[in-house]
Amino acid sequence: MALADLLRRTTLLDRVLVLALFSAALLSLLLLRPGERGELVIVEQGGRIVYRAPLEQERTLRLSGPRGETVLNIAGGHACIVSASCPHKVCMGMGEIARHGELLACVPNNLLVRIEGGKKRDGDFDLLSR
Amino acid sequence: MGTLISSVAEAEELERMRRRIFLGLFAALAVALHTLEALLPSPAPWFRLGFANILTLTALFLYGGRAAWSLTLTRIGVGSLVLGSLFSPGFFLSLAGGTLATALMVGAKALFGQRIGPVGVSALGACGHAAGQLLVAWLLLVRHPGLLNLFPLFFLFALGTGIANGIAASLLLDLLRSHRAFGGSTERSTGNPPLPEKNERTPT
Repeated sequence: MALADLLRRTTLLDRVLVLALFSAALLSLLLLRPGERGELVIVEQGGRIVYRAPLEQERTLRLSGPRGETVLNIAGGHACIVSASCPHKVCMGMGEIARHGELLACVPNNLLVRIEGGKKRDGDFDLLSR
Repeated sequence: MGTLISSVAEAEELERMRRRIFLGLFAALAVALHTLEALLPSPAPWFRLGFANILTLTALFLYGGRAAWSLTLTRIGVGSLVLGSLFSPGFFLSLAGGTLATALMVGAKALFGQRIGPVGVSALGACGHAAGQLLVAWLLLVRHPGLLNLFPLFFLFALGTGIANGIAASLLLDLLRSHRAFGGSTERSTGNPPLPEKNERTPT
């Protein structure tokens, strides 16, 4: 059987190591679970905040970066990149984000979209004061 | 010209040459796999299957730590020349992952010797690769805590591919050790002993 053959190929230490790494992965998955639904969309370009608005506010942003234009669509409580001029389109492949702590990044265009607000773990803050 | 091996010194020389040739072949194959993988579609630039690591593992178990280091560094250097990504962020990600993975693999092999097999070494190496890449991604590209949310997924994926590559390396090692070119090898001190014969296999 394939499983018996597999066990024959591994030493005791191999199995212990794989189990330890697997449990470490599961543990980190539990600890670093994304937070609750967020409320705020923040767009950073080259480290500077260029857009900040509630997630409920439906908008389409056209952001120009060093590699051309990236189009960010905020609709139905989700943010996603619908078109990008970068070569690999990784940012489009990252899908929709809505939870606190989630982010979309377009490295060629130096763009970072993140969600904040909602139920946070490290206390809340006043939206107006920021 | 009649006899190629006439003395002990020549036998050693032959062994050295054989080793060099096989390492060269391993390096060529590793570069080919590295390049092929870059052509495969992947959900993110960091998600790699790491097939080239099979060759590093094989070199580690057959020829020891130095061979594994030279194979990894050659693969990343030549591979990035082929892909045209030398000194790009992707190259540094690759280099960081490869360095940490090889350090962990060579270290584990040196520490545990015969008690660790290719699967364990590979799993450890793959997780080291993931951690190294994420660390450099954090330092060079995105300094944002959100990046850490990617880590568990990344780690789990790396563990899966690591185990798969370890099994592949184990199969390849069996195949190579049963071959005549490796049968007369004098460099057995660094590799695990051959696996048990068929009659010792657990009945199923």
